Amino acid sequence: MNKKGVILGVIVIAIIGGIAASLPSSEPETLSNDRLRGTISTEMGSPILGDPSAPITIVEFGDYQCHGCYNWFKNTKPAILNEYIETGKANLIFVDFAFLGRDSPKAAQATYCADDQGMYWKFHNLLYSSHEPQIDNGWVSSERLKAFAFSLDLDMDLFESCLDSEKYSKRIQFNNQQAREHNVRATPGFFIVGPDGQQQITGAQPFSVFKQIMDSMV
Amino acid sequence: MVQTIKLVFSNFKYIILSCVLFSSMLIGLLILSEYIFLEPYVVGHIPSGTELEFSLILIISVLSALVIPMNIFRINILKGSKQKISGGIFGSIIGAAAGACSCGPVGFAVISTFGSIGVTATTFLTNYEFPIRIIAIVILVITYFTTVNSLKTECKINS
Repeated sequence: MNKKGVILGVIVIAIIGGIAASLPSSEPETLSNDRLRGTISTEMGSPILGDPSAPITIVEFGDYQCHGCYNWFKNTKPAILNEYIETGKANLIFVDFAFLGRDSPKAAQATYCADDQGMYWKFHNLLYSSHEPQIDNGWVSSERLKAFAFSLDLDMDLFESCLDSEKYSKRIQFNNQQAREHNVRATPGFFIVGPDGQQQITGAQPFSVFKQIMDSMV
Repeated sequence: MVQTIKLVFSNFKYIILSCVLFSSMLIGLLILSEYIFLEPYVVGHIPSGTELEFSLILIISVLSALVIPMNIFRINILKGSKQKISGGIFGSIIGAAAGACSCGPVGFAVISTFGSIGVTATTFLTNYEFPIRIIAIVILVITYFTTVNSLKTECKINS
């Protein structure tokens, strides 16, 4: 009787273990623990753009459907890339604050599906380069997101299974929570984190504002 | 038309009223539409690609500053009906609401407060920002011409 019980127990544990192992992980497997910037946990955000050991980190909270985020991407970001990120003075981390419409969380999830194939920033840039000012008009629907992935030569089976299974939905929720906890009240919202503290910037402000703050931190 | 404007703005009070309306409307709309930022520094800029939106804000502010004082003049001096001033105020409010949403602080506050209804409202105001502003301008222009005609008749101005 005892032998039967032990064998039955082992079989049940083996079955449960097998099922658990076969389930897709809802969280990314390779996240760095060293991603606290100022008071912000960026571990669920984008990969670091630029030198990870740069003295300044720009944390951008954004939504892919936000026209202000597009304006910043188009008008301010290129100068920041040239003068601060490519020179090793600063790095940038994008943290999603997907609140504008029903397609926003899906677009954010798609970037992490692209990240699984090492293409986060290319996908991110493609989304903003293809930005349309209308919200939820279909320009970042699931079909369009898959078309964007296809245009970047991503492995479509991997990308589609990732996007359709909503593998990164909790990651987006975590990032949204970070934004709310840090009183981000509009997108794009920024935190410039330097050696001696952090400064918040709200909106698609011009390069001169970022320069003034970052130069005072270096 | 010029004589009508001269008649209204010959009174210094209406020039002051017009200047106050224009500047408050323009600055308010530019802040809401993120052309002016107050923090961390006071700074203004027109991002490339948004020149048309900026022009529409300017037109709405100018028309509001013209139409509303003219109608107040009609009500005060000629004891005219208040119907036309409501057209001016309505046009101004519509024009202002169009730019107040999207992903800025007002849109965020509306979404946070009203949930899915807020999302629907901000989505509508964002997606139709341009036509809404055009409608506001049309309302203000119609109100302007009807006010000028009415002042001409009531004041017996020869054009």
